[in-house]
Amino acid sequence: MKRFYPLSILLIALLLAACGPTPTPQIVKEVVTQVVEKTVEQTVVVPGPTTVVEVEKVVTATPEPTQPPAEGAKTILRVGTGDSGEGLNPHQQIIGNFEDANPDILVQLEAVAGRDYYTRLLTQIAAANAPDIMQIGDDAVPMFVGKGAFVPLDDFITGNYPLDTSIYLPGVLDPGRWEGKQWLLPKDFTPLGVYYNKKIFDQYNVAYPQDGWTWDDLLKTAQALTKDLDGDGKTDLWGIQLTANWTTGFEYWVAAAGGRLISEDGTKVVGFMDSPETISAVQFFADLYNKYKVAPPPADFSLWAGGNAEFENGKAAMRLFGRWPQAGYKKNPNIDLGVVGVPVGKVRANILFWGGFGISSTSKNPEAAWRFLKYYVGPEGSEVWKDWAIPPVASVAEKAGLTTDPIEGVWISELNHLAPRAYVFTPFWNEAVDPALRKALETVLIDPAADVTTVMQKAAQEAQTALDEKLSQ
Amino acid sequence: MSQLPSVQPVSRRRRFSLARREALTFYLMISPWLAGFLLFTLGPMVASLVISFTRWDLLSPARFVGLANYQKMFTRDPLFWQSLKVTTLYTAAYVPLELTGGLILALLMNQRLKGIALFRTIYYLPSVLPGVAFVVLWMWILHPDVGLLNTVLSYLGIQGPRWLVDPRWALSALLMMSLWGLGRSMVIYLASLQTLPAHLYEAAAIDGANAWQSFWKITLPLLTPTIFFNLVLSIISTFQTFTSAFVATDGGPLDSTLFYVLYLFRQAFQYFNMGYASAMAWFLFLVILILTLLIVRSSEHWVYYEGRLR
Repeated sequence: MKRFYPLSILLIALLLAACGPTPTPQIVKEVVTQVVEKTVEQTVVVPGPTTVVEVEKVVTATPEPTQPPAEGAKTILRVGTGDSGEGLNPHQQIIGNFEDANPDILVQLEAVAGRDYYTRLLTQIAAANAPDIMQIGDDAVPMFVGKGAFVPLDDFITGNYPLDTSIYLPGVLDPGRWEGKQWLLPKDFTPLGVYYNKKIFDQYNVAYPQDGWTWDDLLKTAQALTKDLDGDGKTDLWGIQLTANWTTGFEYWVAAAGGRLISEDGTKVVGFMDSPETISAVQFFADLYNKYKVAPPPADFSLWAGGNAEFENGKAAMRLFGRWPQAGYKKNPNIDLGVVGVPVGKVRANILFWGGFGISSTSKNPEAAWRFLKYYVGPEGSEVWKDWAIPPVASVAEKAGLTTDPIEGVWISELNHLAPRAYVFTPFWNEAVDPALRKALETVLIDPAADVTTVMQKAAQEAQTALDEKLSQ
Repeated sequence: MSQLPSVQPVSRRRRFSLARREALTFYLMISPWLAGFLLFTLGPMVASLVISFTRWDLLSPARFVGLANYQKMFTRDPLFWQSLKVTTLYTAAYVPLELTGGLILALLMNQRLKGIALFRTIYYLPSVLPGVAFVVLWMWILHPDVGLLNTVLSYLGIQGPRWLVDPRWALSALLMMSLWGLGRSMVIYLASLQTLPAHLYEAAAIDGANAWQSFWKITLPLLTPTIFFNLVLSIISTFQTFTSAFVATDGGPLDSTLFYVLYLFRQAFQYFNMGYASAMAWFLFLVILILTLLIVRSSEHWVYYEGRLR
């Protein structure tokens, strides 16, 4: 209890925004509406034609240093994001740079934090009042694209302001593709990796994990670092902190076992969620907790199993997770940080967590929106992003030395081993399949005597019933 | 004052009688509330009733499906029944605890002691903490390995359960958490305790009644309107329990804390089944309405109003 868990802070921030005393949390929004109203005023007041050409004339033909370039005739773009707090800094920086370079466009960031963001977007889309540019997370792409919320970007990519799509790091364009078209472009992303605390490894003289290590190596390393230090029969130092019932993260284990959770056509769970490969993944994962006891047991089953903080406190030697808490770990005096790729099971696999931007189908200025989007996700935006996360543009990452960085290089090279996430195969993943998988994971974690095969068969049946119901609608 | 006479002619013309003018003023005064109620409560409620007969995801046009949502709810959705079970169980346990616990606390806080105001504040304070902060604090108290509660239990030689991860204990843990907010009902009890007429107690004392007897014969009967009020409020709010499960357990483990409103929230704002969520909301409304009516009916038999002879 000595340290405040950094993840919890994040969680609290999210939740504070997401819920009030009543279950219909609609808190953060007033501010945003006001911004929009102001927007309308600005555009109305301006006399004469708007548009880009007019402004360029003003700028080139009358270079009057005393007057700022045609304050009125600006196209106003609204950008919707679910980020909050410090996460808004790179947005604002990029927007500032863009506005300096493109004086005819004014960009307004509309931030709605928390689980509320998508609900707000949906209502805005339904009212044809959505932001011109919207940020969406990976597993929401099928729903939003499927409901026509975005315009395809392919014509823009090859149009007047072309974008060279070969500049990107491997795999980072894929989550924005749906049914053969590119709808969104990458904002930020992370695969999974294994953090390790060199202090602990050095103290007990255990070799650091190396790229390409296996599940066997993981088990042996974790066992060598799981210790009862004061002899009271309780473990004081844990081998590896894992993610309990976090289903999305668990997809890595299934992929690395050579399995998958749902059929390619998105209709069958039975035969996949209970396949021998999936069962072996669940078995190994549960064994790390219950049989080998190298992972600290979960403290709660809330979002991301946030109650475990052993790695932060220097009481776990490793942690399997995404890049999100890395900045905090680097500053943490308990930790001398190293990062290695996720261990190889039957095959080498990783999964990607991703957020991207697309242009709203109700945008009145799609061309201006594209210019901003291209700037944001192109080299210019990446120049800013490189100070916050891994930039999607390969050359920027390379020039900044990130590809060869002992830590950042790991995240980048993991992009070469991505397996598709399960949501890609059905729009009903979250509603129909995920709850059964979560329950199965909780069952095997809570009850060491549970038979994994039976549990997974039951889960597959349950998910199949729910999925069939949704498919029949 | 010099203005007054000029008002007179209007009333003499009797365009409005006094009663009608008063009524007009009344409606004028409450119009902000009335407009708010119609626009932001009744309107959405009626809308949600309509939506409950449709399949609607906010984006595609709503499709009328008749009673299909209700049909699915009652016949093909095990999680609906699970959430109803969890909520009912929790309400059945929490409401009596809140009623009696609040009363006991209020009785204690009603003593004439030095510094009693301090104690009242201490007991009331948790009720004013924001919900999420409160729950997160409790998550640390309940932490199975380093939490305060299990540490204290271990001093007593008891190995505490893994509260929020154990399906047998998670709901009880949330119950315990909520009982920290007893101060809310305590304050209401306390307010009415202090209005109880002293002469009744004096008379009882002269007749030789002890404290126990005067509690049962005087205090409790006179408190029944307050108990009635607290009972209704407590049932309504407990059926809508949300924050603690949303933050601490996300409905787990094994759906053992899947509260009705949490499941409704998921249907509405995570799966975007607005029709289904509306149907669930209306069913909950009916359940609460019926329970409240039953209590109101029963109140004739056990609620004592001083002004009314029986």
